[in-house]
Amino acid sequence: MKPLLVFFLSASILSAQDTPDSRDRSTARSKVLELASAFANDGFKIRDGYLSGVLERGKPQILEVNLFSGNAYWFSAAALAPARKLSVTLFDENGRPVEGKDYQDGSTAAAGLIPDASGRYFVRLDLVEGDKADFCLVYSYK
Amino acid sequence: MSSRSAISVVVLLSAGLLAATEPLTKEQIKGAILSESITIPTPGEFFAALDEQGQPNWTQMFAPKAAGTTSSREQMALMLGVLVADGYIAVEAQDGQGVKNTGKDIINLAKKLNVSQSAISRGNSINDFAENNDWSALREELEATQNEVKLSMAEQKDKDLVILVTVGAWTRGTQVAADFVSKNYTPGLAGLLRQPAIVEYLLAELGEMPERMRKEPLIVEVEQKLRATLDLVHTRDRTPPGPEAVKGVASVMDSLVNEITKGNKEP
Repeated sequence: MKPLLVFFLSASILSAQDTPDSRDRSTARSKVLELASAFANDGFKIRDGYLSGVLERGKPQILEVNLFSGNAYWFSAAALAPARKLSVTLFDENGRPVEGKDYQDGSTAAAGLIPDASGRYFVRLDLVEGDKADFCLVYSYK
Repeated sequence: MSSRSAISVVVLLSAGLLAATEPLTKEQIKGAILSESITIPTPGEFFAALDEQGQPNWTQMFAPKAAGTTSSREQMALMLGVLVADGYIAVEAQDGQGVKNTGKDIINLAKKLNVSQSAISRGNSINDFAENNDWSALREELEATQNEVKLSMAEQKDKDLVILVTVGAWTRGTQVAADFVSKNYTPGLAGLLRQPAIVEYLLAELGEMPERMRKEPLIVEVEQKLRATLDLVHTRDRTPPGPEAVKGVASVMDSLVNEITKGNKEP
């Protein structure tokens, strides 16, 4: 069994605070890991760390990350119902959008990038359609 | 959706919508979320980039520092981070025995910090993956072990030590990378060391530690050396650090790793 999955399952089982919110976030994480596993089949390693919370329309989540030139990255996100459509957009350290690859399928989305310079980047996650919902974002690299 | 179909869709939908995207505002940049488990890259990411651009001889570079004995919990947390980075180096070197030894050292040190049994039991997984030469799984397992140890520390009111594990891993990873780049300088390789936002993040987190901890001589030294590193890598317009700056980073980080691993200053 993959270690990430072992960790995820053990974290779910051992969670001392198994509240409805934490269960929803675990479900969002399962959903995003399913998407990220597609990239893992292409040699991408999924980071163990993740960002989760509640996503609302007009209130994007903006995450700071630090990337290395030479690596390739995919930032994957998933949200639960009633979210219907997400988007993931990448920006350089000055906040300018950067060119990459996009994937969008309902309440899952991803953005891919091979940075031309190492340093700080930003990932913006938007709820495009639907109502506020739990989300989870992970990233993969190779 | 199956994994394979997802990949197909990704390939089909790879066109960007760049022109329609507004830049982030200064407020959005300032308010961006910083989450240690995702904002700070693992040594494995750093080494993957080094591999891509420089083809280092990891077997030669895997020279783990024997951790000295110490009663300082702060120093143990820093040493733990150094060991995690050593684990990644052993994985890059595909040195199964080296991974097992490092995993054992990580768990022994984690026990001294009273981390949970679930974190400690990960030592067995590291052993199993090393036994099977499953290098990809080992990279994930090392990160998961580090995160679980940090989680356990936070749960035991040792949250101030968590950042020190990250600092230790970052310091050791940068030491190894800077040493390689200084001996094989190219602007592309040097650009990998230009990560001022990471150093700024680490310094800001150290600044949040209790005053008592910040006055520890080793922590004072960590802060000083991170500031020196920041000066060396904070170049304008994303230009890579020059050869002298890279040598400076290698020297500062080498000295700091030695301080972390040498044991108590006051036995």
